[in-house]
Amino acid sequence: MRSFRWVGMVLMVLAALLPIAAPAQGNLDIDSPAITALRASMQQRHAQLAPLYAAGAVGLAGDGTVAIRDASGVPLAQRAQVNGLVAAENADRVALYREIARANGHPEWEADVRRTFAQRWIERAQAGWWVQAGGNWVRK
Amino acid sequence: MRRLVGVALAGALLALSGAGVQPAAAAITVDALTLSVKRVDYPALALRGLVLRLDVATSQLDLRVASLRVGPHTLQDVHFACPRAALSYPVVECRGGRMRLARKPLPVSIDFRFDLAGRGARFVAAGDRGARVDARFDPSGRLEARLSRVPIAELVRQFQGMLPGLAGWNPSGVLEAELDWRGAPSMEDQATGGARREWLRLRAGIDNGAFGSADGQRAAERLAVDLSVEASAVEDRWQWVARADWKQGAAYLHPFFVEAGPRIQASGRLRGDRLTVREASVALEGVGALAASGNFDLQQRQWTDGALSVADADLAVIGPRWLAPLVAPAAAERLRFAGRVSAGLRFEAGALRELDAVLDGAGFSQPGPAGGGVSFGPVSGHVPWRANGVTRLQLEIGGARWERLAFGPFALAARLQGDRIGFDRSVIPLLDGAVVLDGLALQRVEGEWIGRGGAVIEPVSMHLLTAAAGLPAMEGVLSASIPALSVRPGEIAFDGALVISVFDGYLQATKLRVHEPFGVASHLTGDIEARHLDLAQLTRTFSFGSITGFADADIRGLELVRWRPARFDARVASSPGRYPRRISQRAVQNISALGGGGAMAAIQRRLIGLFDTFGYRDIGFRCVLDAGVCKADGIPGVERADGGFVIVRGGGVPALDVIGYNRRIDWMELVDRLQSAIGSKAKAEVH
Amino acid sequence: MALDMRAGVGAAMLLAAAGCVTINIYFPAAAAEKAADRIIEEVWQLREGQRAPAEPGAGTAPGAPAAEGAKP
Repeated sequence: MRSFRWVGMVLMVLAALLPIAAPAQGNLDIDSPAITALRASMQQRHAQLAPLYAAGAVGLAGDGTVAIRDASGVPLAQRAQVNGLVAAENADRVALYREIARANGHPEWEADVRRTFAQRWIERAQAGWWVQAGGNWVRK
Repeated sequence: MRRLVGVALAGALLALSGAGVQPAAAAITVDALTLSVKRVDYPALALRGLVLRLDVATSQLDLRVASLRVGPHTLQDVHFACPRAALSYPVVECRGGRMRLARKPLPVSIDFRFDLAGRGARFVAAGDRGARVDARFDPSGRLEARLSRVPIAELVRQFQGMLPGLAGWNPSGVLEAELDWRGAPSMEDQATGGARREWLRLRAGIDNGAFGSADGQRAAERLAVDLSVEASAVEDRWQWVARADWKQGAAYLHPFFVEAGPRIQASGRLRGDRLTVREASVALEGVGALAASGNFDLQQRQWTDGALSVADADLAVIGPRWLAPLVAPAAAERLRFAGRVSAGLRFEAGALRELDAVLDGAGFSQPGPAGGGVSFGPVSGHVPWRANGVTRLQLEIGGARWERLAFGPFALAARLQGDRIGFDRSVIPLLDGAVVLDGLALQRVEGEWIGRGGAVIEPVSMHLLTAAAGLPAMEGVLSASIPALSVRPGEIAFDGALVISVFDGYLQATKLRVHEPFGVASHLTGDIEARHLDLAQLTRTFSFGSITGFADADIRGLELVRWRPARFDARVASSPGRYPRRISQRAVQNISALGGGGAMAAIQRRLIGLFDTFGYRDIGFRCVLDAGVCKADGIPGVERADGGFVIVRGGGVPALDVIGYNRRIDWMELVDRLQSAIGSKAKAEVH
Repeated sequence: MALDMRAGVGAAMLLAAAGCVTINIYFPAAAAEKAADRIIEEVWQLREGQRAPAEPGAGTAPGAPAAEGAKP
């Protein structure tokens, strides 16, 4: 009779783990030509964005995009360029989320991919960068 | 007595009439004066709890006002103390007075002198750092004031309570101003019941001015602005004329960067909280004439409605400054504009309600990194738009260019309704054929366009098309029928078929999709099915040697990135049927070269020199391209013990096999070999 | 004692059902996080000149990348 209880426990643990464990296997394809092009484009742009993140001019928004937080420290004549930079980065980011979903055969995952990235960008932001938490800007 | 108090207060508080003053108690003695006023109400001004004490023995004057309202703004706890005051009736004088607002001392020293008998007053405030306000009141009701070197930042900081809207902007700079105001209410007018008339002239200059909102999205630096206002009023109904000249500095008003230069002349009315700009004309570089009008709510601090008209604007100037940052900030630096535009816009509660634009030879282009790119124009015609209503757009487009393809002139008509646009059938000439858009309807949803329609490509000769695209000349015809064209965010799908009749057979592309059309990730996917291509013509066209016979090809999951294949699963096989099958020595060599060294047995290598052509049974090749590697295979079902795969299976006399051994071929290398195989005669851009 | 087992299985089913509610089992969240981390490291150049971890995305404690320092 003891063994029955034991079987029950094992089943319980297995069943509880199943929905989490199953999708954890395997990788997402992030090497399609379009994604590779986006990664390269974003990496290149990062050289211009990094000082803006550090200065708090641009922050990481809660929806997986970047946003102008306080451009006061940016020379006036360059604020339009910062705006363009942010728009270009966001166009790439939106395309990236869409492409990852599409490259893996599930266009409907776009929102989930975006949410995951939004969390990871914020999670991995450097100390001193500004990130959005619950709609408010916080300095990491 | 009552009148005296009234006049004195009028002097002290700039614009107070005797009307509505209800002094609770007033007493003047030789050595001391105490005056308290419970409340004063006046349209633009009100005060509560005024207490004035003057002690002649100690020369101390003390004035407190519990609450003072000027316009919509209220100051609490105003305290004025004068250490050297003197009363020699009817003149009250003060030197070195200090003022406190909510217990905070103002950094100014105030001198004043006024005549309780109503024969004028003088008020001088001197700041600690050279700022000075000098005001004179005339018994006739005239106020002349001169402000010099007044630091705006200090002014706003001290009067935060009165200027709550300005505090968030961190304004700074130095203000110089001259104010002349006549007709502060005179008793005669009140007494006779005649209309109260006022007249005002203000000249102001701001130097080294700056402001900046907290997010830096609205800011200016090193501003020099001259401003003049002339206004007159009958019973609070003001008529005004103003002029502003922006002489120096720059501003960023999200998303626009604007530099000094604009000059504005405006006139209008002011009544209560409603400021009406009847007409403002702005001199702006690149614009023939710019006029604006509107109503501004001073209480809400926003425009309730407005209209803007732009006449004869040069798109080459206003495009990069005013249009690109608004419509395409990410591509702003790459967009080019040409031509002229005139437009009328009407706003309500901050939102665009109506737009009418007339384009005259307008051109828009975005050059590609290596020439080419996209261009559109010259465009002429009328674009009307109403937020609530249906309008018709009518444009004549002189042409368009997409990479190397030039489209001819066409008319574009559409029905506009709010966020929807429905195009009429438009025929866009392309070489000797045309692209026909039919029933295309788009709608803007959350900033993205979605919609559907149909398209047809009326036959275009391949001869012209290949010449235009810089490909080896091919004979044949391209046409397409796309009954279901759909536009979604990040994707344009062409459901239907694009057919090219070429090399005696045909090539049909289906499931065509353009993904991320406007960005670095832009790519095209589709499936291609080719049937019965005459290899003799094909090999001749690409100078590949000579093969007689026919081939079928199936390319599934083709993905083109910047017109270069990035992925596909392609199979080429001899077409079924009976027909002569010969392959030339050169073609054999070329095919062998594609597979790298060792594609032929040594014995065949000797054989090949002896004959010009060889017979073959069939040809088969498969290449699955992914991540730059082509996984190659030959004729299906033909296995060799040595692991090689058969690309050409010999047959007849003399016969020979072409065998590939390399099953993983670097794609770029394959393309290079193919290009050198087809030689310098043709420059096929396959890679 | 059979009751014990039934309770166990019942609880297991309940937990599984709860799992379905909270986690979209169709979306591979863990794989997506791993993919996101790989891309973030590449875009922000978090790995350049740093210790080369065997598995990208693994073993990176939250907040740790802040100390690694992206090169602007």
